[in-house]
Amino acid sequence: MTNQLLEGNAGEVALTRDAGEADARRSARRRQWRQTAFLVAGWIAMILVWELGSWWFGDRILPRPHQVLVEMGEVIRSGNFVPDFTASVLKTFAGFGVAVAVGAPVGYLMGRHRYWQAFFHDGVTVAGTIPAIVYAVLSLIIFGLSNMGPILAVALVSAPYVALNVAEGIRGVDRSLITMSEAFGRTPRQIRREVLIPTIVPFVFAAIRMCFAVAWKVEALTEVFGGRNGVGFQIRTEYQLYDIAGVLAWMFLFIGFMLVIERLVLAKAEARQLAWRPEERSAAL
Amino acid sequence: MSTMTENRRRSTTEIEESTSAWRKRLTSDGAARVAALLSFFVLWLVVSAVFGRVPGPVEVVVRLVEEFARGEVFGNFASTLYRFGVGVALATVVGIAVGVMMGLSQLSRAFFESPVLVGLSIPAIIWSFLTVMWFGFGNLSPIVTTFLTAVPFVIINVAQGVRGVSRDLRDMSSTYNVPLGRRVKDLVLPAVTGYVATGVRFAMIIGWNGVLLSEWFGGSGGVGYRSRFWYDANRYGGFAAWTVLFVGFIVLLDRFVLDRMIRRAFRWRDNAA
Repeated sequence: MTNQLLEGNAGEVALTRDAGEADARRSARRRQWRQTAFLVAGWIAMILVWELGSWWFGDRILPRPHQVLVEMGEVIRSGNFVPDFTASVLKTFAGFGVAVAVGAPVGYLMGRHRYWQAFFHDGVTVAGTIPAIVYAVLSLIIFGLSNMGPILAVALVSAPYVALNVAEGIRGVDRSLITMSEAFGRTPRQIRREVLIPTIVPFVFAAIRMCFAVAWKVEALTEVFGGRNGVGFQIRTEYQLYDIAGVLAWMFLFIGFMLVIERLVLAKAEARQLAWRPEERSAAL
Repeated sequence: MSTMTENRRRSTTEIEESTSAWRKRLTSDGAARVAALLSFFVLWLVVSAVFGRVPGPVEVVVRLVEEFARGEVFGNFASTLYRFGVGVALATVVGIAVGVMMGLSQLSRAFFESPVLVGLSIPAIIWSFLTVMWFGFGNLSPIVTTFLTAVPFVIINVAQGVRGVSRDLRDMSSTYNVPLGRRVKDLVLPAVTGYVATGVRFAMIIGWNGVLLSEWFGGSGGVGYRSRFWYDANRYGGFAAWTVLFVGFIVLLDRFVLDRMIRRAFRWRDNAA
């Protein structure tokens, strides 16, 4: 905010302090207004490009925005999105559970001991660069058509991020706190429980938020390849019927739903876990 | 070292002296890496023994040799690399242009913010469905998919880098009326090279996914097409062979080319620290 005020009308010379302040406030408001206008212009440009595309390609293979909107309304009205959405979301979170259960101990070892750092480092970085499609197909090969496939895929994609972030967090632990605990004769177990684990909680959350966007895409991708329910399954069904409006409608609904979950559930859970030290929260993100 | 916490009443030199040479060698970094490779191998063997559908290492090597003998490897690899290269190059150029604009002016930031966020949240699978429909089974659909999935990541990284350019230097150059072209060339670009490199690296990870997906659904040759061929034939050994091949390639590229580039680009910053 401050730099906006400073950057305001540099040309005009304010005679008194009050006049200058009113001037700055006015220019700040004008700036705010212009920014909103550009934001709206961004959305309009996006929709225009879309319209142009559907005119160019024909609205059978790129339906126009309002057609997709109508389709979305139909999906919502029919009400059969509820079981699919819950299935997809549950699988995503189950995958996160597995990823944290595996990734956090690995990250803990990596942060604490040099040996384990060298042991896991290559594997974790390589696992982070493998394309998601490999994980999706691999989970299908292992589990076949079942709900376990997407869960495994989400876990495989997210675990490296969790491990790396936790390792980073452990390395950032305040050394003097540990030294003090040792000086006062605390056992290693107490140090782990009271110093180390509370420190890494924000990093686990940061990791989850970082890979949430990747994770639900991988989940849907695995369902497209071989799922029996869930959003990805619906997208594949619509695609096989060449109903592109249906594909886009399901996708936009799912994107919206996931954004809501990210904002409400994850942010709230994080805020509650970290309510006792707000400054850590912003540092880890 | 784990011995530190267990024997903390002894000094570090005492511990150092009391550990025998073979133990030191066993806990060295190199030994840890070898142990990690061995455990990965054992894990693979165990998984392929437990799940009958997962091919073991021997089968994968046999399939890989067969695929080389058939002469399928180089042609498919080359066409994938071509599509991937063109897509990522386009994404880099466009991403840098838009990212610099977004970082320099608040208004263009407001304009591009929502399209970039929407672009970030559209999955690669949707792009590959759409591009296969639009452009048919050619080179164009993998290229466009790679471009569209990768470009938002480059933009975001570059914009962040540009915004991180020292405020003082920017203020000074606007005070002294330095022309915009020189400002971009001498101030912004050197400062953002590192961010560009990071963004490109991320874009490449995402871009591989895009190119493979659209080849998988497009069916005009390439690594993704060949992998799908074996997957559809229920011969997972062939799929695993291709996976090993291109994951190996990606890792080598990442380790030996990109990592060095990034370290070079951030040299001015890391040396000072």
